[in-house]
Amino acid sequence: MDSATILIIDDELHIRQFLRAAFEFEGFAVHEAHNAEEGIRSATLKPPDLIILDLGLPDRDGSSIVERLRSWSNVPIIVLTVRSREREKVRLLELGADDYVVKPFGIGELIARARSALRPRVVAGNDPVVRVGPLEINLASRSGTIDGKRVVLGPKEYLVLQILAQHAGKVVTRQQIMRQVWGAAHLDDTHYLRIVVRNLRKKIEVDPARPRILLTELGVGYRLAR
Amino acid sequence: MSLRAARRRANRVQGPVAQNSGQRQLMRRNFSQVGRALVRQVRGEALSVLTSLMLVAVTTIALLILDQFFALRHVTLVYLVPVVIAATKLGIGPAVIAAVAGVGASAFFFYPPIYSFLVEDPQHVIELPLFVFVAIVTGHLASSLRRQADLARRRETEVHALYAFPRRLAAAHTPNDIYTAIREHLASIIGRRTILFETAPPGVPGAALSDEGQVPDAVKRAMEALAEAGKGSGNSSVVEDGEGRVWLVRPVSGKAGDFGVLAIDLGQQKGKMADAIRERVDAVLADATAMLEHLDLGRALSDARVRSETEALRDALIGSVSHQLRTPLVSILGAATVISSAPGNRGDPRLASLADILRDEVDRLNNDVQDLLDAALISSKGVRLDCEWVEPADVVNAAVDRRQRLLAGHRLRVDIPDELPFVYVDPVLLEQALGQIVDNAAKYSPPGSQITIGAKIESDAVVLSVRDEGIGLVGEEQTRLWERFFRGQRGASSVSGSGLGLWIAKAFVIANGGQIEAFSEGADRGTLVSIRLPAREPATPDLAVSGDG
Repeated sequence: MDSATILIIDDELHIRQFLRAAFEFEGFAVHEAHNAEEGIRSATLKPPDLIILDLGLPDRDGSSIVERLRSWSNVPIIVLTVRSREREKVRLLELGADDYVVKPFGIGELIARARSALRPRVVAGNDPVVRVGPLEINLASRSGTIDGKRVVLGPKEYLVLQILAQHAGKVVTRQQIMRQVWGAAHLDDTHYLRIVVRNLRKKIEVDPARPRILLTELGVGYRLAR
Repeated sequence: MSLRAARRRANRVQGPVAQNSGQRQLMRRNFSQVGRALVRQVRGEALSVLTSLMLVAVTTIALLILDQFFALRHVTLVYLVPVVIAATKLGIGPAVIAAVAGVGASAFFFYPPIYSFLVEDPQHVIELPLFVFVAIVTGHLASSLRRQADLARRRETEVHALYAFPRRLAAAHTPNDIYTAIREHLASIIGRRTILFETAPPGVPGAALSDEGQVPDAVKRAMEALAEAGKGSGNSSVVEDGEGRVWLVRPVSGKAGDFGVLAIDLGQQKGKMADAIRERVDAVLADATAMLEHLDLGRALSDARVRSETEALRDALIGSVSHQLRTPLVSILGAATVISSAPGNRGDPRLASLADILRDEVDRLNNDVQDLLDAALISSKGVRLDCEWVEPADVVNAAVDRRQRLLAGHRLRVDIPDELPFVYVDPVLLEQALGQIVDNAAKYSPPGSQITIGAKIESDAVVLSVRDEGIGLVGEEQTRLWERFFRGQRGASSVSGSGLGLWIAKAFVIANGGQIEAFSEGADRGTLVSIRLPAREPATPDLAVSGDG
């Protein structure tokens, strides 16, 4: 069982209670903080393995908390947000949050996101192969297979797929991909990315119109399903 | 206007002595402008004299031709025609000239001895001066009639503007709206460019020009001086802006003191003309000021401020209400799913199904809260867009995936071709619009029936469509479907809903530049709703697919 520590920063007592119960059932240790100051202090004194941060805390706004935490820590952060705040989500992800969950949510969804966020980022090490569902990406030979069959990928297609695979299960904003693949000068030309994603889906999805592997987070970015 | 008068006027504007060459140059330019105006005026008058003579000539030729066939008597009377035309179109001066010319022509061509201005018949000798008298009286009447008609027409537009004005004021939400309304109202009834300089109300710092246009510095200074001089200081003054244009600057006062300074562009100086405009401006402002007093501008301004505060309050309320309503939903759904997945309970289908019930109800409540918020935002602020290039399939998939539980009882078919053009829309709003339609399709069609969600290209549009096999549309449902709070009678008792969904969907689609329509063949024959979005391809970049970066 996991023995990772989760820090929950939320001003609502009931939310903290059910989150604590859920994560303890899953074998995590849980710390709680009921405002931003306490949360930042707790994260400094007893560094957690994952922070769950509810936006809309009374004492500080979400982006400044993420910014502050990121100034000295790489701890994964999942933010709890509400619908139709896509710009805010993108900003938080850009500032270094790892993922978000839209309220209200079923606990299963949050636990799955938490596990994805806790998984260490994949780098080409001893095992250069990233496996995501039926998809395998070999970081050493820069190639991919789907259900064991080789997929011919263009250079941009490979790069995009590699970035998504390294963050498998987590959302990656379009800007994050644009910056790595096309460079900072092309951050706004996101239709380049849409064309590449369309081509990738034709190669790796059973039905490109109903993707099951390379998913779109509307208004935010993409996510490779685990 | 005489040249001497023009010079005198120019002197008054420029000051008696030209001190340096720059000023002298300015003066010369002024003279040449005045000269040009004179020439224009003389040319205009010469033209109307010529026209009236032409009218007489035409009449004469016509009479000469007719004279070949009929022996005409009393031809002089016919010359009343050019006189009346000249009087109505050109004014009294040309009319008199036409009358005299008419007398001359009839004496010359028709009264014996012919081709001489002499008149033999004593009866004709009496007839001709009589004609001149009648012609002048008729001409005078005709031209004053015309003037009155003009005046009446102008009054009509003024009255029209006067009626429109209070309506605009009543609809104004900010003081700025009110000042714009005043400025535009005055500009429209005076027919000149008008600038309103808002004098700062007590306790509010600064003053602002309520016009984006260019204001000459001299005019601005005069307005500022007048505004600073404060209440009751004043009279109007005429300012020359250094470019040959003259501005009338005067305060606009109400019961509570001055509320602004007005500058009116009188155009190029034209002596009497400028004075006439000035008189008109005074008359219009007297009316307008009386009305502004009547409307109690001060209260209107404070009302507008209250309105904008109310709006801020409403926003805050919307924010806090949504927080208040949603927070318990988060705890309810969270706690329910934790209980059903807790170690001791895991795998108990009864608990799982109870958690599912909670999940569905929370989703429903959450959507209702979202509908209320969306509706409140649409009516208070309109729709704010965050557009980008979007893959239409992504929108369809998001709408379907988010409603998987709702659609679980139906056979779902998603029909999207591989190659659709991208659309430039706000993806989140479009997804919500499509989602509302999918919700309706699921709610108003029996379990087990098919719902087909499709996307296709149709000439230069991308069309997203939702087809169900449900209760269809009958009678007034066809037309009232998109109204706020409209709910069809047939489903109202068995299906829950706020009557806001389709109204929101339509607002979002229209905001995105699209069209939405519903079609049904009748009761229980299903409904087809389509969203039509303009298809524009972004410039296809080579960079996207090639290159080895």
